[in-house]
Amino acid sequence: MRSIKKIRRIFSKTYAIAEKNVRIQYRFKYVMVLRYFTPIITILMPIIIFDSFFDFNANFGPWTPQNYMVFVFVGYIIMLMRNMITFIPRYLLQEKYWKTLPALITAPFNRFYLLFGYIISEFLGILLPFVLVLIAMLIFFPISIPTLIIVILMFFGVGIVFSGVGLFLGAFAISNENYLYIFDFGARLIFWLSCITYPFQLFPTLVQNIINLNPIYYLIDIIRFTWIENNIIFSVIAHPIHIYIFVICLVIFPIICVSMFNIIYKKLGISGY
Amino acid sequence: MSNYIIETFNLSKVYHLQKGNLIHALDDVNIHINEGEKFGLLGPNGAGKTTMISILSTLIQPSHGYAIIDGINILKKPNSIKGKIALMLGNDMIYYRITGYANLKFFCKIIGVKDYKKKIIQVSKEFGMENWLNEYVERYSSGMKCKLSLCRILLSDPKILFLDEPTLGLDVKTTKFIIDKLKHLDKTIFLTSHNMDVVDKLCTEIAFINNGKIIKYGSKDDLRKLYQKQIKIFIGIDDNKIKLKQELEQQDFITHISIEETGLKIELLERDYYNQLFPIFGKYKITKIQEIELSIEDLFLKLVV
Repeated sequence: MRSIKKIRRIFSKTYAIAEKNVRIQYRFKYVMVLRYFTPIITILMPIIIFDSFFDFNANFGPWTPQNYMVFVFVGYIIMLMRNMITFIPRYLLQEKYWKTLPALITAPFNRFYLLFGYIISEFLGILLPFVLVLIAMLIFFPISIPTLIIVILMFFGVGIVFSGVGLFLGAFAISNENYLYIFDFGARLIFWLSCITYPFQLFPTLVQNIINLNPIYYLIDIIRFTWIENNIIFSVIAHPIHIYIFVICLVIFPIICVSMFNIIYKKLGISGY
Repeated sequence: MSNYIIETFNLSKVYHLQKGNLIHALDDVNIHINEGEKFGLLGPNGAGKTTMISILSTLIQPSHGYAIIDGINILKKPNSIKGKIALMLGNDMIYYRITGYANLKFFCKIIGVKDYKKKIIQVSKEFGMENWLNEYVERYSSGMKCKLSLCRILLSDPKILFLDEPTLGLDVKTTKFIIDKLKHLDKTIFLTSHNMDVVDKLCTEIAFINNGKIIKYGSKDDLRKLYQKQIKIFIGIDDNKIKLKQELEQQDFITHISIEETGLKIELLERDYYNQLFPIFGKYKITKIQEIELSIEDLFLKLVV
């Protein structure tokens, strides 16, 4: 009974943060529209290039003219979700200058709620294009309902990892904005080497070796494989490293990032406003 | 166990500036505040007031020393005091892009207020904000933002209110309204300000802070007594204002003279010298002699400036 009450309390606080964030974001509706359309620009070029390459019978590993739209659309959703890394520090920066952050920090609530609140609000924010793109993917390359559920859960997992990174960057947004831009550049570099818009096989060997060290690449790649293979057991057996890295990231990233947020905040406090 | 609700022990904060420079924002500050007391921390800009309130509200950590709030060491158990305190830095700390109601509802959920609708109506009525709750905060005046902010901090029914310059930039009427409301709250208030009038009207205990050090600390009346030896007098005079001023300037026991519209204001080193003024006054056509009570502003100017 007590644990049910506790869960309800956690949900209530998390939902309150999400609701507030969505209300603030929707205050300016065109910003949201721009947010949906910007990732389209990034995937538009790969769509054109892929189409031309396939005319010359080029080979990109498992990607064929029949399934490459899955690759591109997963890339679009990841680009939408990547905003979590950019927007969470931006929200925290706003809260710092609005002086609402001290009001939150001095309130009796756990910072994990803040993380989950941001994840939910970001998901709510991208819900419409997310659903539309999933429908488009199902039209281009149909999959079974269990696989679809697994893929949606995987996207949610990626959202948790990205939000964790966002919160880590957010710690610098409130404590030392200099470091924010340094780490933001690092995050951009990691994403650049995550094969979001171009397939792994397109890169030279040296770059492929670097990409192999990037955990974000595995998170994105396993979602694509799960979709086109349409058999979760086969995907787990065929890509064990991807699965290990996915699970490890899902568990470790939020813990490390929230801990880092707490450590950085405790050591440096709020500064700059 | 001590009876004080707030106690600080050698509280210090050092900020590291660029090029290795250090600044002592707080330097061995020791204060103790009783439950229900209205405490005012007065000081000029950069004296350490906001640093003090930030440490006590667990926003930042001290470099040295510690504080006990309601029997809890804030360094060891910062989360344990969060339900007991509420902080207001400046006169907003609310979200401008959502409505007043959405603000209060959000903070109710965050702090876990059970019947939030009832609570929102109760606190908003207290500050006359009930008809403005459905408006976006960005459309509020400064006074309304301040009132909504005060509603926010009262949602959790905290024991202690930390208020940093709450009436900054507000008009006289709104300031008076807010002081009256705060005065009648059955809560401990820790107020920082450089507005002497606000502190004078609201607080019973006052500390003067300058360069991170508490330079005088005590009840408002005790502090006044300290300076009762000194005396400030208004002398009403129609003609020969300048001549009288020149003559008074030759007296060693007069520390300050200023020319007013209808006379002169003078400050004596000690009350005992009062009688020595009458032979001088006899030479002029004096219309009024009135002793002026020392205000908190006078004390502040004597101590800090």
